[in-house]
Amino acid sequence: MGALYLRRRITNWLALGLSMLATLIGLGFLGWILWDTLMRGISALNLRLFSTITAYGNEGGLANAMVGSLIIDLLGIAIATPIGVLAGTWLAEYAHHTKLGETIRFFNDILLSAPSIVMGLFVYTIIVLPSTALTHGNTTFSGFAGGVALALIALPVIVRTTDEMLRLVPSTLREAALSLGVPQWKLTTQILIRAARSGIVTGVLLALARISGETAPLLFTAFGNNFMTLNPMEKMASLPQIIYQYANDPGDKMHALAWAGAFVLTMFVLLLSLASRLILSRNKVSHD
Amino acid sequence: MTERAVAALNPQPADTSVAIAPTKLKVRDLYFYYNGFQALNGISMDIPEKKVTAIIGPSGCGKSTLLRIFNRIYAIYPKQEAKGEIVLDGENILDPGYSMNRLRGKIGMVFQKPVPFPMPIFENVAYGIRHHEKLSRPDMAIRVEQALRSAALWDEVKDKLKQNALGLSGGQQQRLCIARAIALKPEVLLLDEPTSALDPIATSRIEQLVAELTSEYTIVMVTHNMQQAARCSDLTAFMYLGELIEFDETEKIFTSPSKKQTEDYITGRFG
Repeated sequence: MGALYLRRRITNWLALGLSMLATLIGLGFLGWILWDTLMRGISALNLRLFSTITAYGNEGGLANAMVGSLIIDLLGIAIATPIGVLAGTWLAEYAHHTKLGETIRFFNDILLSAPSIVMGLFVYTIIVLPSTALTHGNTTFSGFAGGVALALIALPVIVRTTDEMLRLVPSTLREAALSLGVPQWKLTTQILIRAARSGIVTGVLLALARISGETAPLLFTAFGNNFMTLNPMEKMASLPQIIYQYANDPGDKMHALAWAGAFVLTMFVLLLSLASRLILSRNKVSHD
Repeated sequence: MTERAVAALNPQPADTSVAIAPTKLKVRDLYFYYNGFQALNGISMDIPEKKVTAIIGPSGCGKSTLLRIFNRIYAIYPKQEAKGEIVLDGENILDPGYSMNRLRGKIGMVFQKPVPFPMPIFENVAYGIRHHEKLSRPDMAIRVEQALRSAALWDEVKDKLKQNALGLSGGQQQRLCIARAIALKPEVLLLDEPTSALDPIATSRIEQLVAELTSEYTIVMVTHNMQQAARCSDLTAFMYLGELIEFDETEKIFTSPSKKQTEDYITGRFG
């Protein structure tokens, strides 16, 4: 009895120790990244970063890139959210047990891990090239094309979370509504989406966090722009693309700007993740 | 159990009708299949109007299955099939042409676990009404109040009608679900083990409520609690392995059952 008890305690300690170690490694790297970007970018981390555009080079800031990122990311989310939520709803509520539904779910999972550069090239071929030809070169690369590329990356994330959140809603809720004579479409739009709302919003926020760090899909689509623009049909700068560009520059001041941009971007993603956590925990509703 | 033995136990449909009130639901030769598996084997029974009919039996005997056919809620799942007749006011509700909307307006259901909708208390009750009738705001308010009063919940929630229903206690949630069902003014109320997720105090409130509701509604209640059936029902049906073994006045079932299996079950020898 004593020996068995001791062995269990040791096993418990070992398992607990190993999982704590794993957690520390994960958190350690996060802290390290934040610390490193802060330290290296701190010399460029001032008001000018938010007020001056990249056209001033190492004397400038990143204002146009931040605005550009915001516009492109929001465009991407605005395109992906309605399609993603509808597709996820269809998968969970209408095609739950069908072969077609299973197949689409499978391909969505593949899309979820598709290389992002492929999305950029795809949008380059379907939007940038035709718009260049149609407008005789007046519109080529654009913030809009960048938004579409990011939408393609956000889409599978939103489909997946909507599908999963809806499937977490207990079937008794469906039965209760249907037993009142309420038709399926009302049940879905007025009750199920409401029950899964916080989970779906979280999914959208996480998708936003995911696309705000993407660089590759923007290289062939939004391209970049050293001046401030709010017109999505023009070439547009974005934070990841400027970081990429400045990091390749030999100048130390440019490096500091890139680090500062990286710090701003990381904080943005961190805050988005925290916000989604907060929404999820505040609206947590127990169904059991 | 062989088919012969079953036939011997349950010789004629006429045996299962109990003449204490006009029949509300006439069940004839009802069979049910889950993906080909036969779960109900030729059930025939007459459920009387404005009485409480309890269905008892061990787990898996088909009592919930039977209840779920009465409002055809089973039909939302693929590969579930009912054969036979259930006549309500002269019409067979299993007829594919019978409107689901009409059926579910006439036959309400309350489930085992309280499942309020994720919306305010008032909206929970108004939601179903709104689907069936167009009411003005004041009329709707009156209707919701009536339903909540009938469900003995009004006094507890009248000051927080705009609060989310998920904040209510389990017993209150279940009475809200009853209010939601009776708000549609159904003729029949199906209760599927309505107290199995509740504590004893909440349970006795619901049982009291069932007794009050019987003046207006025909109630069919599935319960795995024999004392509950004995306490609240006028008639009791005992089911076993998809068969209706015995259906009679509750007092008779619990004091002098005519079938050996019924006696064995209610005296706790199996189940």
